[in-house]
Amino acid sequence: MTPQIDRRPWIIISLLAVALLLCIPLSQIIFHINYNYTLTVVAVGGAALGILASVIGCFAVLRHESLLGDALSHAALPGVAIAFLIAGREIFPLLIGAAIASWLGTQFALAITRTTRIKQDTALGIVLTGWFAVGLALLSYIQSRPDASQAGLDKFIFGQAAAMVQRDVEVIAFAALISFVLLALFWKQLKLITFDREFAQANGVNVRGLDLLLSTLLVVTIVVGLQLAGVILMVGLLIAPAVAARQWVHKLGQMVFLSAVFGAFAGGSGAIISGLDVALPTGPLMIVMASIIVFLSLAFAPGRGLIWQKWQQWRTRSDIADNRAANLPRPQSES
Amino acid sequence: MYALEHMILQLLQIFFAQDAINGFLGHPQTVAIMVGSLIALAGAIPGTFLLLRGMSLTTDAISHTVLLGIVVAFIVLAALSGTTPDLSSPLLILGAAAAGVATVILTEALYRSGLVRQDAALGLAFPLLFAISIILVSRYISNVHLDTDSVMIGEIGVAWTDTTSHCFANCEEITITEDDRRAVMMRECTNCVSENLYPRDDRATFEEMCSNCGTYTPGEAWSKGYSPQKPELIFFPRSLTVMGLLTVLTIVFVLLFYKELKLATFDSGLAASLGLRPGALHYALMTIVSLVAVGAFNAVGSVLVVAFFIIPAAGAYLLTDRLSRMLIIAPIFGVLGATTGYELSRGNVLGLFQMSDLLKSLDGLLKLNGYTDWNVSISASMVIMLLVLFIVAWVCSPRYGLITLATRRWQQSRQFADVLILGHIANHEGTPEAPDELNPDTLHEHFHWSRRTMQWALARLRAVRLVQVENDQVILTERGRAHLLDFRQEMGIR
Amino acid sequence: MPHHKTPLALEIHDLTVAYQSKPVVWDVDLAVPEGVLLAIVGPNGAGKSTLIKAALGLIPRASGDVEFFGTTYAKARDKVGYVPQRGSVDWDFPTDVLDVVMMGLYGQLGWFKRPGKKERDIAFHALEQVGMQDFAARQISQLSGGQQQRTFLARALVQNAQLYFMDEPFAAVDAVTERAIVTLLQELRAKGKTAIVVHHDLQTVPEYFDQVALLNLQLIASGPVETTFTAENLRQTYGGRVSFLKDGAQVVGMD
Repeated sequence: MTPQIDRRPWIIISLLAVALLLCIPLSQIIFHINYNYTLTVVAVGGAALGILASVIGCFAVLRHESLLGDALSHAALPGVAIAFLIAGREIFPLLIGAAIASWLGTQFALAITRTTRIKQDTALGIVLTGWFAVGLALLSYIQSRPDASQAGLDKFIFGQAAAMVQRDVEVIAFAALISFVLLALFWKQLKLITFDREFAQANGVNVRGLDLLLSTLLVVTIVVGLQLAGVILMVGLLIAPAVAARQWVHKLGQMVFLSAVFGAFAGGSGAIISGLDVALPTGPLMIVMASIIVFLSLAFAPGRGLIWQKWQQWRTRSDIADNRAANLPRPQSES
Repeated sequence: MYALEHMILQLLQIFFAQDAINGFLGHPQTVAIMVGSLIALAGAIPGTFLLLRGMSLTTDAISHTVLLGIVVAFIVLAALSGTTPDLSSPLLILGAAAAGVATVILTEALYRSGLVRQDAALGLAFPLLFAISIILVSRYISNVHLDTDSVMIGEIGVAWTDTTSHCFANCEEITITEDDRRAVMMRECTNCVSENLYPRDDRATFEEMCSNCGTYTPGEAWSKGYSPQKPELIFFPRSLTVMGLLTVLTIVFVLLFYKELKLATFDSGLAASLGLRPGALHYALMTIVSLVAVGAFNAVGSVLVVAFFIIPAAGAYLLTDRLSRMLIIAPIFGVLGATTGYELSRGNVLGLFQMSDLLKSLDGLLKLNGYTDWNVSISASMVIMLLVLFIVAWVCSPRYGLITLATRRWQQSRQFADVLILGHIANHEGTPEAPDELNPDTLHEHFHWSRRTMQWALARLRAVRLVQVENDQVILTERGRAHLLDFRQEMGIR
Repeated sequence: MPHHKTPLALEIHDLTVAYQSKPVVWDVDLAVPEGVLLAIVGPNGAGKSTLIKAALGLIPRASGDVEFFGTTYAKARDKVGYVPQRGSVDWDFPTDVLDVVMMGLYGQLGWFKRPGKKERDIAFHALEQVGMQDFAARQISQLSGGQQQRTFLARALVQNAQLYFMDEPFAAVDAVTERAIVTLLQELRAKGKTAIVVHHDLQTVPEYFDQVALLNLQLIASGPVETTFTAENLRQTYGGRVSFLKDGAQVVGMD
């Protein structure tokens, strides 16, 4: 009999999402948080960014490309500077410039790994620092000019989530929507190339094209999130929720959804908590919330977590001590 | 450190005049290049080992988390001593180094749990530590000049201004007390501000205060005219000392433990079984990386110092196969980048052209509005030159460069094509199908090549007399037969 | 080029594959009819996996061409199944055994269709064929080597191919798995299908396979086991590093 699909993890994930949403009215009651317009915008924006980053992050983590986000974040800088030179401080050209620069960076790193014996981490490091240096040189040129229009450009680079406006949230939501549609469309193929690249290739899947799709989505995510969370912190948002989700569930779809829930919580709560206290910057708080989730997951997840591992060891030892051999795992020969 | 600088300067004064030394050390270009070269040396050597272990991006992580170490050390020191700690205090440097090592420890712990991959572990550890440091900075240090921008960027161009002054003659501190004849006494209203009174008001009270009392260093005293003789001062750039010490430390470490590092890098299992403690070596190396990152970031900023760890080592990796040679080429690579980088920042691109000329020509396209002066961050320019040099190595490396690869691939495909044809002829000569298989006009069909490719190949083979065409068949010449035999023997083919 | 009347399952002509400047597979001609079990044997690094991957277009070839059932791989793709080496996959990926098997059906589902009940049933049936039905909901990270191999086999089975390529399926598996694989191969043959298997254990070649191809950079010999799997051919393939255990003419290869 074909086993039924186990729906329980999905139910638990949905319940978790609902519970976290309930935190909003609860926090209003318990902590007297006033969800005025600004706070709402920042909270929604943070949550949306958390969702977007964590979903793409799942694929980055499973493909062992976690630090690609770090490299691409730094590589975006020269694009921002050049776009500024051409088009001034308009948000859209700056984003496009950032995207082009990041994309060129990935291609450069890819070319290095394909044509030399240099490994991926070193190639990313070369792109990260080299591109960033070009950006800094251009920035210092811009700042040496007497015109004042470059004010705030570095805020764009280092990010300040507290200054999010509705427009920014719309941009994030739009990017998230496009990403999810594309991911859903190519879900089977993406799953296949992430799990078994050779098999996918042999079955005619366009592996290179899908690689391109994923790196483009990553670039878009980073570029959209840069101005809100800053360079370093995008890395955290990409990785932590995905790693946390992996500890609890065992299917890719569940992992993606759960990491979206974790990401939304980290982004939203980080934004809200920082809104309460002016001296607490938003981006770092999001990372702290995400890190708390990760460390709790690593410790307590059933079946994988460290606490569970210790408990298993203790149980095995006490079983051996009590001669309860029946409880011990069987040797593998009859399978 | 002060004593060390003093000794070095005393040594130098044996050979050079004070003014010459001051001129040398006061020259921005010289200092920038010297500091840059020291960073290159101190970075390329550990960077080589890290590259070989696949840990290049750890340097990026460390360079960000050293900020945390500085901040925590700063807060602790401020709390303990009650005053604002000096930003160049060695305790801060140690604190920063400790943070760097803590990053590595946290990453390893995450990885050892078996639940997280190495790259993800790094990506969990350093954003968290960095986030904590930013939170601490915003909460506790908002009143001190330690903004994240300058931490991340830094500027080597001002290294020459950050100096310690060393006095070699007429070195008296001048203390002016109230009864000194040089003291300037002034009357100050004590309650004008608090009670909102004019000085001429009767209710205003006055006190005599000394406006210039206090202790002055020799230099200050001379500039204010309080001392009769000019002190002989030499100004020693602080970053030179710091980087110099770190470079010496790095070189000594690598020289002492070269064999152990080499083995631990390639085969840590074997190293462990030989009792060489690869773990301890690893943490020692990471401590040095952290120290260099801290020492350097004041000059080049935390992101660019990473460039000095990674890029020269990568370039050297493309140029040689031996670790010992890599450890020599990488620093040279870095020093070259530092020196040409300085030139680039002034607009002089490798002596070939000037950036301002380039900008003038791009003025219209990029709407530069006539701002064509190129005078930019020196540290960034140094890294740009490192990147340029890397690209040069990538393309031109005699062993691994793109040009060599392309040439080799082209030669190889030609050689294979030739030998495949020769082999085909050898296989079918004298057989009944020979007229069909060896007909020059239809030969291309047997290989699924285009007709033109085959004709080129045949022309080539005929030109070097490896084949000839007789009676509508392509046959092997003696030379051709020998060539085929040589190839087969060389490749181990029957 | 002479074409056979009924297309062979696989026809390889003059296949050469090179890495940097050295050939790894040189001038190989191989013809495999339908309904046979063929073992490819040879020393390590002799190009066995390379041969398969080049035939499937996974790595570029320097020359030669390959025909599947008389046509190109692109056109015959749905008739060919591939079981790669186990080590090429990240077994920590979040998925279960049934899910892995269903991945074999993605090609048939086309771009946008989701796998449904029908696909689950097909996948489960394939698991039954390899004796893994009790593991359908098991996390793949918890599988033994033999169980992983059988999962891969089930994935290939659902593709319902006519020609199967398998890369070292018997490597490091337990006895139960080995029996399961052999039974499966025989069932395939009984249905008129073809299997080309990279095999490392010379001992079992005559027992498990009908035909054998001896490969060491070049094709030393290929054909039915009885006539091709001889001491002389083996010596040539393994460069004289073959020792024979006299009783029962058992052969042990060393490389």
